[in-house]
Amino acid sequence: MSPLRHLYLIPVAWAALRGGARAGGLLGLMAGFFQVPLVLPAIERAGLTGAAVEGLVSLALPPAVGVIAGMLRDESRARARRLAALLEIEQCLAREAPLPVRLDGVAAVVRRGLKAARVGVLVGTTGDAPALGSAPPGARLAPGSAADWSLTTARPVRSADLASDARFTLAGPAAPSPRRGLILPMDAGAGTVGVLALEWQGEVAAGTDAAAAEIALHLALGVENARLTMRQRRFAGELEDKVAAATRRLREIDQAKSEFLSVVSHELRTPLTALEGFAELLLTRAVPPERAARFLRHIHAEARRLGRIVAELLDLSRLEVGVSPDLKREPIDLAAHVERQLELFAGVHPGHRFSWKVEGPLPAIRADRDALDRVLQNLLSNAVKYSPRGGEVRVAARAAADGLVELRVEDEGVGIPARDIPRIFDKYVRIANQETASVRGLGLGLSLVRALVEAHGGRIEVESEAGKGSIFRVILPV
Amino acid sequence: MDLLTAPFEVERRRRPTPVIGALCLVGALMLGGVAGGQWLERQGGLGRELGLAIEGAAIHGGFIAQGLVIALAGRSASAAIALRVTGALLAAFLLGHLLPWGSLTFLLLPPLLAHECRGHPMLQRIGFLAPPRPVSLLVGLAVGAFLGGHLLVTSSLSFGYAIAVVSVGAYASAVAYDIGANALSAEWLFRGALFSHWWRHWGFWGAAAVSTAFTLVRYLLDPALPQAPEARTGAIVYLAALALGGAVLRAWSGSLLPGYLASVAFFAAYRALVVG
Repeated sequence: MSPLRHLYLIPVAWAALRGGARAGGLLGLMAGFFQVPLVLPAIERAGLTGAAVEGLVSLALPPAVGVIAGMLRDESRARARRLAALLEIEQCLAREAPLPVRLDGVAAVVRRGLKAARVGVLVGTTGDAPALGSAPPGARLAPGSAADWSLTTARPVRSADLASDARFTLAGPAAPSPRRGLILPMDAGAGTVGVLALEWQGEVAAGTDAAAAEIALHLALGVENARLTMRQRRFAGELEDKVAAATRRLREIDQAKSEFLSVVSHELRTPLTALEGFAELLLTRAVPPERAARFLRHIHAEARRLGRIVAELLDLSRLEVGVSPDLKREPIDLAAHVERQLELFAGVHPGHRFSWKVEGPLPAIRADRDALDRVLQNLLSNAVKYSPRGGEVRVAARAAADGLVELRVEDEGVGIPARDIPRIFDKYVRIANQETASVRGLGLGLSLVRALVEAHGGRIEVESEAGKGSIFRVILPV
Repeated sequence: MDLLTAPFEVERRRRPTPVIGALCLVGALMLGGVAGGQWLERQGGLGRELGLAIEGAAIHGGFIAQGLVIALAGRSASAAIALRVTGALLAAFLLGHLLPWGSLTFLLLPPLLAHECRGHPMLQRIGFLAPPRPVSLLVGLAVGAFLGGHLLVTSSLSFGYAIAVVSVGAYASAVAYDIGANALSAEWLFRGALFSHWWRHWGFWGAAAVSTAFTLVRYLLDPALPQAPEARTGAIVYLAALALGGAVLRAWSGSLLPGYLASVAFFAAYRALVVG
């Protein structure tokens, strides 16, 4: 027998390494068959001698080598392909694209990696319209399908052949080869995040199930990671926005404080100049008694104005350190109190019309008289200041539900733009408006009003529209 | 994608089909046909020819009928097709026995079967369709030719069997019989119906092993197989290789045709072997 017969192993090994177990096995089988006419006649002639046994071994060797080498090659290729697929899946999931587009990419990778005919990747739950990616793309999810059932129950579905599986109702004639189906829930330990659906046509390589399970687990981890990354990005974005808003607000406050200092200086200087001037006149000149009395009234009025400014600044400093205003509560007839204040304002501001209405019986309230005065004065003062073209200032009060009293101050002034409403009760804030640019103020009035109302256990609300006027509602407990 | 769209009922089970009953009936008719044929055979004269024809038609027609019953899940259409094909087989066997070139009528059987089955898309499940890759036909022929050639070389070298076409007429008749009855019925039942059915449930190797075993049983029971031990051993090896090759070709190509061509090529070579 020719020792050259072992040369058959070379092409067999080459075929196994190039084409895997099938090619190696086939070529090995052919090599074995080629040797049969050399081996069998020898056995027929001389019986089962040592040489004949060696011949039989060399006959069986090529197919065995082809199959074993091919299987090793297939296994190694499959591992490499799976590893590459896992990395590609990571890449697909990390892409900046809508989720269904990313899942289409994932499905294409899985299809290639597991040599499947069709792949579907569903992420989400049946309740919130899951995202679907597929290869070939364009698949859809129908309610009542196996994937839908698996998504709902988090249970796998296995079918050796979809066409002959009674659980499936398929349209059209059966294919000539079995169509294997596998649905695996994607669960990384924190609950099912979706399902991986795979269909194969024909024979499926051994170990495919385990590879599919590995990919499903990896997909679950990938989806969880992608979700975490997205959440982190969203959180970082929100944080960035918040920091930007806070910085902007700090700048505004800084600017407002600078403006405040300038206004305060001006507000203090004006009465001081008057006080200084009138006092100097009285000291240096002989002034007739009636003129002296007028000067003294001016001095008195300016001193009162100074006192108010200082009181507001003191209140401000208390607010800054978070101390509530000191209240001396006493029963107050709100109607009489408001009416008196309104009379004073009407006398000083003849360009505006003031109306006052009590809607129904009004109970007495327990409040600090001075604080209530300042609330009313600030609201009325604002109503007048921000109505430069005159108009009506309507004040009304009524008993509200749950033992509350509502005091309403309504004007027909410039109003407040909607975007500025949330910050009008902040300190130092003055809303820019061309018509009211000359109005003087510290930007403290409304923040003081809110602090005083809240100190009484009440609240203040505002309703306003730019160009149409504002309505302030003070709600106080009885 | 059917996993995403096809209606799915997890609790639904397959309804029992009348396949088993129909297979038993066909088996009984086959045995009846063979018994009747043998009785007629014993009568001698024209009865002998008629008996042999009935036996052949009963066996090959029965195989085709069983394949149809399995493929069409017991539908009544399978009975009509089977009866017509069996009738044609009977005619071919009779003509083969009565006329010198009568066996050539077997060549009409494959087109007749194709014609009878053309309106049944369900038969695609057993591979009754043209192969999507035409090259698979050549591969099938090559596999059959290789095995047949190998059989000839090994037999002549090992056992000194002659390779010769003693009579062109007899050779052509035998090849025609293989084309229209032997290879046709074997591929139709063992690779078409049985392998295709088991492949869907047991995977390739399980289905290939069992269908190959059935093929071997069919040929080992065939009285036409030479009785010499070396011939029977060789038959087991080559028929097993042919049956496995047929299963591989059926799975690879999706069609019965390449495996059928392999069988035809193998038997065409085998008919040139003078055993004994």
